[in-house]
Amino acid sequence: MTDTAMEAAALGRRFGRDGDWALWDCTFRLPAGRVCAIVGPNGAGKSTLLAHAAGLLRPTEGTVTVLGTTPAEARERLAYVAQDKPLYPQLSIAETLRMGRELNPGRWDQGVAERIVADGDLDPHARVRTLSGGQRTRVALALALGKRPELLLLDEPMADLDPLARHQLMGVLMADAAENGTTVVMSSHVIAELEDACDHLLLIGGGHVRLAGPLDDLLAAHVLVTGQDGDLDPHTVVESRTTGRQLTALIRPNGPIDEAWQTAEPSLEELVLAHLRSPEAPVLTLTGEDEADAFEADEQEADAEEADAEEADAEEADAEETTV
Amino acid sequence: MVEYRIDRRSGVATYVQIVQQTKQALRLGLLEPGDKLPTAREVVEATAINPNTVLKAYRELEREGLVEARRGLGTFVRKSLGTTPVDSPLRAELDTWAGRAREAGLEREDVAALFTSVLDEHFKNDHDKHDEGDEE
Amino acid sequence: MTAVTTSPAEAPAFLRSLRPRGLVWTLLCLHRAALLFWVLLVAVAGGALLWAYGPGERGLWIEYRTMRCASPDENLSCDFTGDAYLAYDMATSLGSLIITVVPFLVAVWAAGALIARELETGTAELAWTQSVTPTRWLAAKLALPAAVVASGTALLTLLHRLMWPSNNELRRWLSWAWYSDTAFRGNGTVAVAYALLGLAVGVLVGLLVRRSLPALGISLLCLGAVHFVLGVLRPYLWPPVTLTNRAEYSSLSGMPVDEGALTSTGAHVPDPCNGSPACLKQHDIVGFYTEYHPSSHFWPLQLVETGIVLALTALAVLVSFRLLNRRAGAAV
Repeated sequence: MTDTAMEAAALGRRFGRDGDWALWDCTFRLPAGRVCAIVGPNGAGKSTLLAHAAGLLRPTEGTVTVLGTTPAEARERLAYVAQDKPLYPQLSIAETLRMGRELNPGRWDQGVAERIVADGDLDPHARVRTLSGGQRTRVALALALGKRPELLLLDEPMADLDPLARHQLMGVLMADAAENGTTVVMSSHVIAELEDACDHLLLIGGGHVRLAGPLDDLLAAHVLVTGQDGDLDPHTVVESRTTGRQLTALIRPNGPIDEAWQTAEPSLEELVLAHLRSPEAPVLTLTGEDEADAFEADEQEADAEEADAEEADAEEADAEETTV
Repeated sequence: MVEYRIDRRSGVATYVQIVQQTKQALRLGLLEPGDKLPTAREVVEATAINPNTVLKAYRELEREGLVEARRGLGTFVRKSLGTTPVDSPLRAELDTWAGRAREAGLEREDVAALFTSVLDEHFKNDHDKHDEGDEE
Repeated sequence: MTAVTTSPAEAPAFLRSLRPRGLVWTLLCLHRAALLFWVLLVAVAGGALLWAYGPGERGLWIEYRTMRCASPDENLSCDFTGDAYLAYDMATSLGSLIITVVPFLVAVWAAGALIARELETGTAELAWTQSVTPTRWLAAKLALPAAVVASGTALLTLLHRLMWPSNNELRRWLSWAWYSDTAFRGNGTVAVAYALLGLAVGVLVGLLVRRSLPALGISLLCLGAVHFVLGVLRPYLWPPVTLTNRAEYSSLSGMPVDEGALTSTGAHVPDPCNGSPACLKQHDIVGFYTEYHPSSHFWPLQLVETGIVLALTALAVLVSFRLLNRRAGAAV
C-alpha cells in the first residue's frame, strides 16, 4: 500500500488577517485503504483540517493533497459530510438521493444509498425537514456513500446518533471500507466510538498534529510505566504523575526499560488523554512505510507463539488474566 | 456459520478475540471442515470493527492451517479442532469434578482459581508465550 | 417540426433527452415553489393585460362613446369613472405594476433563497462536494433563473405592448404618455434588463452577505438605488430635441427634459424672469428654449438604458464569480 489517500505538508490556516491560526505546520501522510480517526478536543482544528481536504478551504500556507492530486481535482472521488449534516430541508429523502444521482453522473450507486436509508426504516417520501438529527445523519451518509467515494471525509459523523444507530452505521462504513477499499477519515472527540473501527490515528491539539501514524504502531511506541519515583532517562516522557511515592508515566522508550518498572501497553484512550494533558510532549509521526514491515514481524511472532495452538484450550482464560 | 462478539472491555486485542472465537467454534463443532467463514464485509458490518482487524485474524488462522482463503470465494475451514466435542469423555470428567468441587463447598472463584493453577502447571510454556502475544 | 413527425418509437427517447438533468434538475426541484409562484405571477399579469387588450378595451371604448366623451363639445359627464374604465384601469395597472415589481422580487429571491440560505446552512458546500464545481454551481444558478425570468418578463412586455392602445383618442383620454415610468418600463426592453439585474444583484449580495435576511434587504436597497438613479438620468441618456421660440415656451408632446431662456449669444440660461418684458431685456433674454424627447426617441432611450443595465448586470456577475472564487476556497 504505497498509495496516499491524504497528505498535508506544513499546512497552516489562519482565519482573518490577524486572526488565530486554526492549523499550523500540519504535516502527515495517510495511506489509502485506512480508516483514520482524527481525534482532539473541541476547537482543536479537526473540522478545519477536514474542510481543507474536501477543498472547501484554501490553506493560508502549505499544501494538502488528496488521492494524489488537489482536492478540487479529486472532487468526484471524495465525499464529505460536514458536522451539521447540511441537506436541503424542502426535498424528500428520495429526492435527496435523486440529487446525488444527478450531481454525480457515472459514479452514483442508487442501491447502496437506498439500502442505508431503508436500514433506518425511513420513509423515502418524508421531507428532510421532518427528520431527527440521527435520521439526517443517515441520509447524509447515504448521499456520501452513494457517490462511491475513494476517500470519505466525515466530520463528527456519529454525534447525533443513538448507540444502536451508531453501531449500525459504523458497520455500514466498515463494510464499505472492506468491500471497496474506501479510505475513511472521521473526526470525533469521543474516543471510545473509534477505537475498534480505526487503524490510523491523527491526534490534533491546538491546531497542530501531535500524533500521527498507524494505531498499532503508535500504541506500541508507548509504554505505561508505574513504580517507585525514579529516573526515567533516557526515555521520552509524555506525561508523568506522582502519587505519594508511586510514579505513573507514559513514556516512549528509547532502549530497554529498567526491570524495576512495571510496564503495560497503554489503551488508545490513555494515549490520547496523556498527550492532551501534556501539550509540551514532543510530536510523534510514524510513517505508514515501515508499518508494513512491522506488521510482518508482528505476524511471525504471532506465528511462533501460536504454533501449538491446538492445545491452547485455556487461551481465553489466559488472555483475561494477563491483561488485567 | 459463526458470529463474532467483540468485547471492548476484555482488554484482549480484537483480532485475538476473533481468532479465539473461531477456534472455540471449531472445538465445539460449530464449524466443520468445508464451512465458510463470514466475509470480512459481513463481520465488520455486524461488529463495526476495522476490516483490517478481521483480515489480520483470518491470516492468523490461515497461518495456523485452520482455514484457507480461496480467491473470490471466501475463507473456508480446513481442519477441525475437534479434540473436545461437547459430549467428549474429558468434558464428562470435568463435569463430575466440578460437581464434586461444588459439593465440597467451593465458590465459583475458588474453582476457577484451582482450575487455572492446574492449567498453568500443565501448559506452562504455552502460557508464557501467550502472555506476550495477548499484550499486543 | 421534425420532432412532431418522428416515429412513435423515437418519441420517448426524444422526450427523455429533454428531461432536465444534473444541476438543472436539482435547481428545478429545489426551487419548484418559486417557479410555481413565477408561473402564476406571469399568468395573472399576462391574463390581466390580455383581458385589457381584448374585452377591456372594447368595453372602455363603448363606455367612452356612450358617455359622449368623443363629442367635440366638452361633456362634463365624461369624468371617466364608469365601470368599464375602473376595470380597465385596474387590469392595466396590475400588469404594469407586476412588470415594475418583478426585478425586486427576483432580487429578493436570488439573494435569500438562491444564494445566502445555501451559504448559511452549508448546503452550498454539500453541492460543491458532489461532482460539481462551485463555478458550475453558480453558473447554473445564474443561467437557469435568468432564462426563466427573462422569458417571462419578455412575454409580459410583449403583452403590455399589445395592450397599449393603438387608438390615439383613447390613449389621450386616458392621459397615458409613452414616457411615463410604468409605460416606459412596460413597453420596451428595459423590463427584461432590470429583471436580469435584479437576479445578478441578488446573487452578488447573497454571496457578499451570506445571511438570508440581511442579504434580502440589502439587495432590495441596491436595486432600488439603481432604479431610482437611472429613472432620474433617463432624459439625459439621449440627446434631446431643442425647440426655440422668440415669444414663449413651445408647446410639445413628449418627454420634457429642460427649458429655459435664450440670451442674444445663444446661451441657455435659467429663466430669471416671470415674463416681465423689462426683466427679460435687462437679462438680455431674446427667446426661450425647450428640450424634450419626441416619441421617436423611445427606442434610442430604451436601448441606451437597457445597455447600461445589462452592463451593470455583467459587472455584478463578474464580481460574483470573483467573490465565489474566494469564498469557495480551493474548490473552484
